[in-house]
Amino acid sequence: MAFDWSWFWPQFFTAMGQTLYMVAVSLLISIIIGIPVGVILVITRENGIWENKWIFNILNVIINIFRSIPFIILVVAIIPFTRWVVGTAIGTTAAIVPLVLYTAFYIGRLIESSLLEVDKGTIELAQSMGATNWQIIWRFLLPEAKASMVLNLTIATIGLIGASAMAGAVGAGGIGDLAITYGYNQFQTGVMIVTVITLVIFTQLVQTLGNFLSKKIRRK
Amino acid sequence: MKKFAILLLGLILVLAGCGAKNNSGSTSTKTIKVGTTTSEVPTWNLIQKLAKKKNINIKIVRFDDYVQPNLALSDGEIDINAFQTVVYFDDFIKQRNLKLSAIGTTNIWPMGIYSKRYKKVSEVKDGDQVVIPKDPTNLGRALLLLQKAGLITTKKGFTGKGGLENVASNPKHLKITAVDAAQTPRGLDDSALAVINCDMAINAGLNPTNDSIFREDAGNKAYINIIAARTKDKNDKTLKEIVNIYHSKEVSDFIKKHYKGAAVPVNKPVSYLKDYKQTQ
Repeated sequence: MAFDWSWFWPQFFTAMGQTLYMVAVSLLISIIIGIPVGVILVITRENGIWENKWIFNILNVIINIFRSIPFIILVVAIIPFTRWVVGTAIGTTAAIVPLVLYTAFYIGRLIESSLLEVDKGTIELAQSMGATNWQIIWRFLLPEAKASMVLNLTIATIGLIGASAMAGAVGAGGIGDLAITYGYNQFQTGVMIVTVITLVIFTQLVQTLGNFLSKKIRRK
Repeated sequence: MKKFAILLLGLILVLAGCGAKNNSGSTSTKTIKVGTTTSEVPTWNLIQKLAKKKNINIKIVRFDDYVQPNLALSDGEIDINAFQTVVYFDDFIKQRNLKLSAIGTTNIWPMGIYSKRYKKVSEVKDGDQVVIPKDPTNLGRALLLLQKAGLITTKKGFTGKGGLENVASNPKHLKITAVDAAQTPRGLDDSALAVINCDMAINAGLNPTNDSIFREDAGNKAYINIIAARTKDKNDKTLKEIVNIYHSKEVSDFIKKHYKGAAVPVNKPVSYLKDYKQTQ
């Protein structure tokens, strides 16, 4: 049976919309959660500017828990929570909840590593000038780490695109799901090629944009 | 993986050799590796026990998906597999050009429509959400079942191959969402109807006989499960013996009891399946 391409293209554009929607919304919420998480990890750690063993260790364990759960199991484990947040556990919007949990803590870790690269001398200098902790974070820590943070967020975005393919398990749709459903499961090689090339282009664009932004920030 | 397989094979040969020595006089023990999926393992545990009496040593290899067992069979890593419907099998070997043959029937797991909201299919409302499994065989099978239940019609000539593009009319404007097969029971709380494979329903604690509101009938030949072997081994005596054990009363009784009617034993020769395309 020949594959019906006339049916494929509308399907393809719907899937494209679903992927963009899932990735954009999840990324935005993940950044809003992830950056504070990264900052808290850095300031509460030993010798941090607001050292607090309890907060650091608890947060550290929580992040490790979420980061070690395979995505598909995370999706299932948080179904009641997902339903509570968006009202259903099936579909594109429902997939955003596990995608956020998956990505936010990952971003938290990446931001942590970016912030740790900031020279200790800069922080000490700020402290000696009498800056408050709040000022140190906003005026020194985050601006100093900006270029590295942009690169790390690029990594997170590409990871998120990959994870969104698995969200097809709960009927979220998307390009990755199209690749799996028709390309992998139904042996439609043509569909597989088109969808995979789309994902490659998508990833290239994100990485190029990330590199460009990071370079621009560094040059300032 | 290959090295491991060779090592394993070597080990098996050595063990088989030992077995032969111990049983000098009688026929030598043969080791047959059977690939199957989780839900079928209890049946194979029993067959393993029965086969031992006939000097056949069965090793059960459990798989988690429906693609690898056929590839492993074709590559010689296992000797037979038993997990798939005849329609899926025929399609798979054609697509991948594998030299595999069905050597016996096993059982049928009738697919069902489940609902927490409704007791009858006729209660379904306009615009309701329906979740169905997304893997190709089950997706088509689910569409055929929805058609049989009078909820949708499929395109002319649709025999269960392909996806949602084969829906011809959907008078109740059902929102049909294809999800991972394992997610269909989990979707019951979010959607009006869920089309669920028998084994998934059992794994999720549903009772296929009592909890479903509409079921496939057991005479649906296309969805009868089979035992497959490499074509060159299809007349192998040991393999035929295993099929015979599968068709024994002891195994049939076990299937009926263990799966509580969810799996119905089908003890027919392979030729029974020849005309399945007309019965779809």
